[in-house]
Amino acid sequence: MKWSSFRYLTKQGLHNLRANRLMSLASIGVLTACLLLTGIAGLFSANVNSLVEYLGDQNETVVYLDQGLSDEQLASVDQTLRSMPGLAAVTYVSQEEVLETYKGYMSEYADLFNDFEEDNPFHANYRVVLEDLNQLDEMIAQLEQIDGVYSVSAPTQLSSVFLTIQRAVTYAGWALVAVLALVSVVVISNTIRLTVFARRKEINIMKYVGATNGFIRWPFFVEGTSVGLISGLLAAGLVIGAYALVVNKVGAMSGFWGPILGSCLLSVGQVWPIVLGAFLIFGVIIGSIGTATSIRKYLEV
Amino acid sequence: MIVFEDVTKDYKGGNHALKHVNLRIRKGDFVFVLGHSGAGKSTFIKLILREEQVTSGRVLVDGLDLSTMKKRKVPYLRRRMGVVFQDFRLIPTMSVYENVAFAMRVTNIAEDKLKKRVPYVLGLVGLADKADRLPDEISGGEQQRVALARALVHSPQLIIADEPTGNIDPKLSLEMMELLKAINSVGITVVVVTHEVALAKRFGKRIITLDHGVVASDTAPAPMEDDEEVAAQ
Repeated sequence: MKWSSFRYLTKQGLHNLRANRLMSLASIGVLTACLLLTGIAGLFSANVNSLVEYLGDQNETVVYLDQGLSDEQLASVDQTLRSMPGLAAVTYVSQEEVLETYKGYMSEYADLFNDFEEDNPFHANYRVVLEDLNQLDEMIAQLEQIDGVYSVSAPTQLSSVFLTIQRAVTYAGWALVAVLALVSVVVISNTIRLTVFARRKEINIMKYVGATNGFIRWPFFVEGTSVGLISGLLAAGLVIGAYALVVNKVGAMSGFWGPILGSCLLSVGQVWPIVLGAFLIFGVIIGSIGTATSIRKYLEV
Repeated sequence: MIVFEDVTKDYKGGNHALKHVNLRIRKGDFVFVLGHSGAGKSTFIKLILREEQVTSGRVLVDGLDLSTMKKRKVPYLRRRMGVVFQDFRLIPTMSVYENVAFAMRVTNIAEDKLKKRVPYVLGLVGLADKADRLPDEISGGEQQRVALARALVHSPQLIIADEPTGNIDPKLSLEMMELLKAINSVGITVVVVTHEVALAKRFGKRIITLDHGVVASDTAPAPMEDDEEVAAQ
């Protein structure tokens, strides 16, 4: 295509966008709505995922040590644990610290614990966090093998609940996004089909005066992609704006969930480039696919 | 310019539109193709435009064999001819100027050439002062002349007029025919497809009559000529 034709046809496409104002608005409205729903579903799923991950990380596995280990034995256990792959965090808690913790829990009966100062019944332990909860069972077996380890206590029940939730949310989120994407494609290609149908005579005339298919398609393509771009921008603006509001509100929340949500919600800074990029790409692809599929029929003259 | 060699065209559903048609229209001819509705006139035009393909036989236009022509070459075939449709087929949202310019834009022509050529052609058909009007704002006769200007604008060697007198009053019809004669006088082949016997007879030109898909009569059949050989495609 020559530059002058390219310019003319692009201008023509943008002109059509304005000339068929109502249809363009309808297309933009529909696509924006679909993108909004898709974006909300995606963000919701991503955040629940992040929350579950955060809660999962709070679940420590406790590795109890045998009592009366020598300093060398302790050092050896320490080294083994810290060099073990698959552990995200390793913290040592001595017998004395355990006792102090219990005293703290039951400050009214602190005196009772004083007897234990001489003969501490608690086991020193390591609190470890697993990188991947899926590996929990193997990790427990490995930890129990270590010399000097008395027992391992792991939140197996809880972790499997978290894993199930995480999996369910991820699958449901993606399924929702996929369904909404499909709906958008169908609706938008139908809307464009209406535009094309309204102009089938024009397309027909173009064919008769010797226009190539590419020449006829280009303005429609420009129109479709513009609708996609505008919808993508609109939807991204709305979603990001609304999300910023939500993050703000949650951050200001007090009580038990406030700080937890505040620390594990994805930040607006993390979210906006992905949302904007995905919406623009998605919008443009849907706009152009919708155009290409709906115009083909009328080019057969 | 146009050669039909033993052309048969059947549509799905058993409609035999053309049966073993042989005809030859030379470069620079002025020919009427006459026939009642259903005689095969529309099919005749559709085959030349390669909107339809022959069931058997061969159609040559300007030396190009349309039966072997690739689909993507069809636009280039159509640029060699200009067609004035019965219903004019103007784009209602475009001005008179744009409607004519459009047919040139399709051929990737530079804007400065277009700016000279379009007003010139509009002048030829007497519409220089209506360039900015929309098709709905001008009369039927004027719309037809816009369609003619559009057909002429890329200097085709062949003009096909489909029922040029069908949608306008008799006085304007004569004017249209005079315009077509003038066009023919500079060497452009003109084929007028019509059902009006009186109109065809009035001009004393060659008349090919189609009836039920066959050539019923031809007042001056053109002899076989060397220049109708198939050109390299």
